[in-house]
Amino acid sequence: MAEPRRWYLITYDIRDPKRWRKVYALLKGYGEWLQLSVFRCLLTDRDREQLRWELARRMDPVDTLLVIGLCGGCVERVRAINPGEDWPEEPPPFRVL
Amino acid sequence: MSPRPVVVEPTLRVHSLHALAYCERLFYLEEVEEVRVADAAIFAGRRLHARLEQEGERVEVEVSSEVLGLHGKVDAVRERAGTLVVHEHKRGRHASGEGGPEAWPGDRLQVGAYALLVEECFPGTEVECRVRYHQTDTTVCFPLDERLRQDVVAAVARARLLRASGMRPPVTTEERKCARCSLAPVCLPEEERIGSGAERPRLFPEDDVRQVLHVTTAGSRVGRASDELVVTPPEGEGEPVRLPVRTVSALVSHGAVQVSSQVLALCVERDVGVHWFTSGGRYLGGLGGGGGNVQRRLRQFEALRQEAVCLGLARRLVAAKLEGQLRFLLRASRGDVAAREVMGSAVRDLSALLPGCAEAASLDVLPGLEGAGAARYFGALPYLLGDDVDPRLRFDGRNRRPPRDRFNAVLGFLYGLVHREVEAAIRSVGLDVAFGCFHQPRNSAGPLGLDVMEQFRVPLADMPLVASLNRRAWDAEADFEVTSDRLSKVGRAKAIELYERRKRETWKHNVLGYSLSYARLVELEVRLLEKEWTGTPGLFATFRLR
Repeated sequence: MAEPRRWYLITYDIRDPKRWRKVYALLKGYGEWLQLSVFRCLLTDRDREQLRWELARRMDPVDTLLVIGLCGGCVERVRAINPGEDWPEEPPPFRVL
Repeated sequence: MSPRPVVVEPTLRVHSLHALAYCERLFYLEEVEEVRVADAAIFAGRRLHARLEQEGERVEVEVSSEVLGLHGKVDAVRERAGTLVVHEHKRGRHASGEGGPEAWPGDRLQVGAYALLVEECFPGTEVECRVRYHQTDTTVCFPLDERLRQDVVAAVARARLLRASGMRPPVTTEERKCARCSLAPVCLPEEERIGSGAERPRLFPEDDVRQVLHVTTAGSRVGRASDELVVTPPEGEGEPVRLPVRTVSALVSHGAVQVSSQVLALCVERDVGVHWFTSGGRYLGGLGGGGGNVQRRLRQFEALRQEAVCLGLARRLVAAKLEGQLRFLLRASRGDVAAREVMGSAVRDLSALLPGCAEAASLDVLPGLEGAGAARYFGALPYLLGDDVDPRLRFDGRNRRPPRDRFNAVLGFLYGLVHREVEAAIRSVGLDVAFGCFHQPRNSAGPLGLDVMEQFRVPLADMPLVASLNRRAWDAEADFEVTSDRLSKVGRAKAIELYERRKRETWKHNVLGYSLSYARLVELEVRLLEKEWTGTPGLFATFRLR
């Protein structure tokens, strides 16, 4: 019943260190940093649109962005090809630390 | 004659006319109560405008006029052969008219208003309107004619009238509109229409998909690194845990946990609740919910100052609590002849108390009824525990501050968590916890929180606890601090898990007829409570266990 969420792989190429920092910090608030300029985020449609808007405000036309939406089958294959990594289907609704 | 003071009414956002044309109630909620929920479509629209700006397409012009009573930002105004053309960009598709593409009524009104504003700046110039629909890649043009002028003036007059009135307009009769409305979870149109009986489309107010973060390790620090929350355990107890702030719905700190001021600022900004418990599990209070909501609060105070309203609500609340207790006893002892025999008198007494709640003559009578019910209920509760439950975990009457046995320790802790949930819901709906109907105003705990919580004690705390004890999920040694009969760190984590899992269980509402999670039910009850004094009374405190 909760809003459906999907995995997204987000990669970028930013030509200016100042903008790069801003984009990096923004993405840290949405998801997990995997590798240099590669993030993965589990987003609802609303989050995705909000993120795209926030990115559009911080980036310049010379910068490039690639947002890859992963369907259930794609995530399955990511899991199969990279068995060490954990791509949870539905993260638990709480954390106790 | 002395000059009369001129009262200048604040101007309206042109954009609000768009909402007005869609639904008057939407206009009222957004412009008067200032409840705004940005959904995916709104962000997509903002991104379109950001993109146009980058492509050099858009020259925003701010215009306002006190004569017209409007202000707003025009996407662009360009001159073409002596005519001023007002441009507006829309992300979606155009409406189909008889003679080809047309603008939607709301868009027509909005652009018409911009055109009037532009005309006022450049009197005597011809003005034309253009709306570009990006999805279908069409541009619709229309002149600023007499009909459009009249429509705009009429809409502004209607908007002012609505703004001046204290009454929220009814839900729209065009149900299709609600399915795509971003404010449906606040407006709850489906629940308003429940009385009319016919089959309705279901509009689920969605669950919050973000995580609740409980920090229970004494000595942890919660800090901020850009938009991440970083929870650092005490020295030598592991690595910091990093969480993106948008994946967190509430930060709950138990006992000696440091939360930096930067984290608090971030949480307030990002609509993340922050709540504090003592290490013993008592709820201290919390942050969150945003400011304002003055209309809602004024209506709450006005309604709850009337004794008849308070009495009516309190009667139903106590009846709901007692009936919840009764139903739990019956349900848990179903098919168990021995338990039924022992509990027989408690069940009979509880049923006998129920009619008394509905007829209680004043607020002073109700606490007595509630107390009598609680005594019967807690007297019968021990018989619901199976024979093989550890004797150290058994229960013999409710006690607190401090709890004198292990059962009461967990129960008190769970009640604290329920209390937090309810207060967070009250804040997010925009009501004031400090003014309730049944509990008397005191300084320490918010009476409204305690009021609303009464319905949830049994389903959210008592039921999962009894079930978990019967499953033998508790360890009388490891889960408790034996010296003080408090939960240990392991026990606390267990209790949190028990509660949070229960909260996510879905359940079919006996009156509204659709399934929803208990987490959602808490917020729904608060919204239904608000409806008690805003036009649709009768739904609050009507849910029952089966």
